[in-house]
Formats: sequence, C-alpha cells, structure tokens
Amino acid sequence: MSALLQMELGKLGRLASVRFGALVLILFPLLWAYAPGIFDVYGFFLVSGFQVPALALLSSMEFLLPLLIAITCAELIGIEINHGTLPTVLLRPITRAQWLLAKLLVASAYPFLALAFFLLTSLAAGAFFGFGPFVGGTGLGRQGLLGAGTMVPIEAWQEVLRAYLIAAYSLVPIGLLAVLFAVILMNAAGGALATLATLIVMQLLVVFPAVTPYLLTTQLSAYVQPASPLGWVVALIALYCAAFAAAAVIVFERKDF
Amino acid sequence: MQAAIETHALTKRYGPRPVVRDLTFAVEPGEVYALIGPNGAGKTTVIRLVSGLAFPSSGTVLMLGHDPHETPTIRRRLGAVVEAPAAFYPYLTGRSNLLLHARLAGGVATSRVREVLDQVELGHAADRKVGVYSLGMRQRLGVAAALLTRPEVLILDEPASGMDPLSLHLVHRVLRDAASSGTAVLLSTHHLDEVVAYCSHVGILEEGVLIDEVDLRDRGARMRAMVDDVQNARLTLAAQPWVREVFVRGRDVVFTLDESAAIDRVGRCLAAAGVALRELGDDSFDLRSYYRERVEAQRARRTSVEGRPGAVAAVSVADAPTGADA
Repeated sequence: MSALLQMELGKLGRLASVRFGALVLILFPLLWAYAPGIFDVYGFFLVSGFQVPALALLSSMEFLLPLLIAITCAELIGIEINHGTLPTVLLRPITRAQWLLAKLLVASAYPFLALAFFLLTSLAAGAFFGFGPFVGGTGLGRQGLLGAGTMVPIEAWQEVLRAYLIAAYSLVPIGLLAVLFAVILMNAAGGALATLATLIVMQLLVVFPAVTPYLLTTQLSAYVQPASPLGWVVALIALYCAAFAAAAVIVFERKDF
Repeated sequence: MQAAIETHALTKRYGPRPVVRDLTFAVEPGEVYALIGPNGAGKTTVIRLVSGLAFPSSGTVLMLGHDPHETPTIRRRLGAVVEAPAAFYPYLTGRSNLLLHARLAGGVATSRVREVLDQVELGHAADRKVGVYSLGMRQRLGVAAALLTRPEVLILDEPASGMDPLSLHLVHRVLRDAASSGTAVLLSTHHLDEVVAYCSHVGILEEGVLIDEVDLRDRGARMRAMVDDVQNARLTLAAQPWVREVFVRGRDVVFTLDESAAIDRVGRCLAAAGVALRELGDDSFDLRSYYRERVEAQRARRTSVEGRPGAVAAVSVADAPTGADA
C-alpha cells in the first residue's frame, strides 16, 4: 500500500491542473499585495505581511479554491482514463479498493499541500509589508482587518496558520466528492463539473435555515467564523469525507472496465 | 489437468443487449487460444471478463481454478495487455513504466525488467519516454510488461495491432516460447494467417456467440493424398490404427497421422490395396476461408431463425454444424 501511495503522490505533480493551480496560487496573492485601488474598493490599507495570506484566503475560499481542488481531484481519476492505464493497473494483484484508497488519500492530502503552498506564496507576496508588530488585525480573527490595537507577530502567525489548517480540512470533502463523481462518470471534466454544480446547489439551500448548519458549503467559512463549535464542524466534515469515500469505493468495486 | 482459463455459460449484457452469450471454453497450460471474429463480435468483452476487469451478467470465469473477482491475488500469476495499443504513462520511460509495474506486481528483480526489454528488442529504447514510442514499440512494451512476472496465464487483446512484419514475428516467437514453457495464452486477433502459424486453438466469435472452435494442432498434422480411387483409399486408410479422421474432399483423401506414424507407411499401404498415389503432402488449412464460411453460415442461420415468429436468435456452437464437417 505504501508503494501504491508513493506512486500516486508522484503522479500528483504531473497533473496539468496542479501546475496550472500552482501558477494561480502564485499570482493571486500578488494581486492583493500590489493592487493600487484596494483602499478605494474595500476602504483599508494593507499594513502587514500577515494580511496578504488572510485576504488571499478570504477571497478564494468561496469559489477559486474549491474549483482548483475539484478539478485536480477529478483529474486524479481522469488521468488514468485518458492514458488508458486504469485497466493496466487493475490487472496487477492489488484490489480495486486498495487502488482507490490510495487515490482518496492523495485527494485528501492535496488541499493541505495546496494551501501550504498558497500560504507560502501569500507570505512571499506580503514580505514587502514586513512581519513585525502592526496596528490592526490579520482579517482572520474576530476583529477582522481593523483589529483591536497592536498585534504581535506570534499572535498573527497563530491566526493565519489556524485559518489555513481549518480551510484545508474543510476542502477535503470537496476533493473526495470530485473523486466520487469522476468514478461515477469515468471522466475528469464531468467529475469536476458535477462537484461544482453540487456546491452551487448546496449554497442555494441556505434558504432552508434548518439545514444550513449541516451543509458542506457552510463549513467552508469555518476557518473564520464556524457556524457551530469547532469540534462539531470537524466531526461533520469527517462524516462527509467518510460518506463520499465509501460511496466512491462501492461504485468503483462494481465498475466494468 | 486443471484448465488455466475456464468459462462456463458466460454471458454479459449491457442493458438488455447481450454482447457475450453462453460462452463456454477452456485454455489448458501450454496452449495458445486465439479468439477471432468480426468487429463487435465480443472479443474484447471476453478478454475483459476473463481477466476480471468486467463482471459477468451470468456464468462463471475461473483463472487457475479461482474466480479473479473473489481472489484478486490470483493476478500475481497473470500477465495481460487489454488495451490496443498497450497503455503506459507517456511521461515515463519504457524502463520506468516496467519498474512501476514490477512494484505493483509485488516486487520483480530489476534484472528481469532488463531481460523482458531485451526479449522484445526494446533494450535500446528503454530510456526513452513512452510518449515518443511508435505504436508497434508500445505494443512490444505491453508484451514485455505482461511477461514481467513469468505468468502462468497470458491474456492479450490484439497484440499484433500496429506492428510491422518483423515486430509481429518477434511477438509471435515470444508467445510461442511462453506457451512452450507451459504458459496458457489467450489472445484476440484479426491476423488470421499468423494465427495458424502459432496458435493451438481458435475460437470463432460472432455476435457474442462462440460459433466454432478449431484445434489447429490436429489441422497441422493433416495430410492430403491425391489418388486414383478415393473410396478405396479412404477405406484402406481408415482401417489403419495409425490413421485418424479420414474423409474425402473432391479427388483427395484427407487424413491425420498419429505422431509416431511414418509418412512412407501411407504409400506402402495404399500400394498394397492397389491404389495409385499421385501426390502426398500436408493439407494446409485455410483459416481465412474457413472463418468466412462459418461466419456467413451463422449469419444465414440467424437470419432464417429471426424470420420465424417468436424465434430465439441465439445460435451457439452446440447447435451449429461441427468444424469437422468442413
């Protein structure tokens, strides 16, 4: 299994969507760091390098990051279909569940890898502003970007790292959902599209207040304002992950190739 | 002896349409069994069912006595290429692709990777990316990947697709060598002329039905005698214990000699019966004509069955005329 996992991680770096995504994650924080009209539009000035990762995350969690995650995770399956290598791999003495489990683990790891990279590029983009104490907030705490007085670097680091960690975790079920749809449709584009359509439909369900706290899309803002206690959010996301992964394995086990 | 591959009443439906119907056949160790048939006859589906990539709608598949779905580890003893051309990661070299297969197979010595690459004459291109390989090179790499674990069962879908005559000859030699060392080989192909040269059995598929099976080993041992009195010659040869399957074809007598029997006995025996022997030689089997005849006969039969109200269209090898009639 470790050989299989190692192999699948190796393939991740070769995906076109990962390379394109990396380019986007490099350019996106630069837009925030050097945008000349930021005050005119949003009414504030950037005063610290810690605010760039915050703004980058705040403006990408709703659509850009779910999109990148969905496309890449669907492509994890799609690349095997495109190259015709799926039957070849399945003819070796590994079970279908083992192979898909390796894919699911890589899909689960990808949001963490992508957000770690995004954090690095955001910090690099914000280096111009420095990482010392500053007056205001990171944008990821309770006081937002305006803050409550002077913020020391250690506190800022904690807020940023915590937010990126929770954001990555809340993106994991989206990756697994994309794998599930790619397995059902046996197509990367179809898998990504079905995932995004599901997310859009879920976002519309906010008109039913009773279900809103349970929606996957609601948890996407847990990094800044969790709808429920964090432990509950973590458990709910884990439940989504388990359901999507189990469904993917069940469907894959009965597929004809 | 336990069959290496065995199917019984194997049926596969996609929706209401059956693509493989009631297929029963077996491949013994050391045999090369070729599935032939028109496009859409169900050859690839059979290959995928047997290798465990597709699930039967009904019936059974056994590989070395095990159901490949229930016992996936049986695939340690399988080598297979089910894509034409063989599928590999284009961004990896031929060698890296095989090393990856070696890891998935549970560990194969690096020296074996080199060995199979040399066997299919790809040693010189082993460190080139597969993306730049020609179709024939990819096919040969596919055969190399299938041979990697010294399998007891080899399953190949269109292994000769896109190959030049030299590569074709090479792959045939490799498959013949594998069979002679006891490997059971199942393949699908359209190259009927080559099939006769190295396959031991042929199964003819038409619309998912196995309409005939031919044992080419028997065909290869057949002799043809041109004589002045065919009936006398037939009776004379049929009375000999070292002669099998005697029948008359036009002005010739066709028969099969037991391996131990010497050809010169035929002349002596016929001369003793007063039959003048004009010519004696191998009865070369024209698989192409035979195949065309069987497929056309099956289609005509099906058309006549379908013409009857309430008739069932499936006509299988069980109710078709036997190959020995030809």
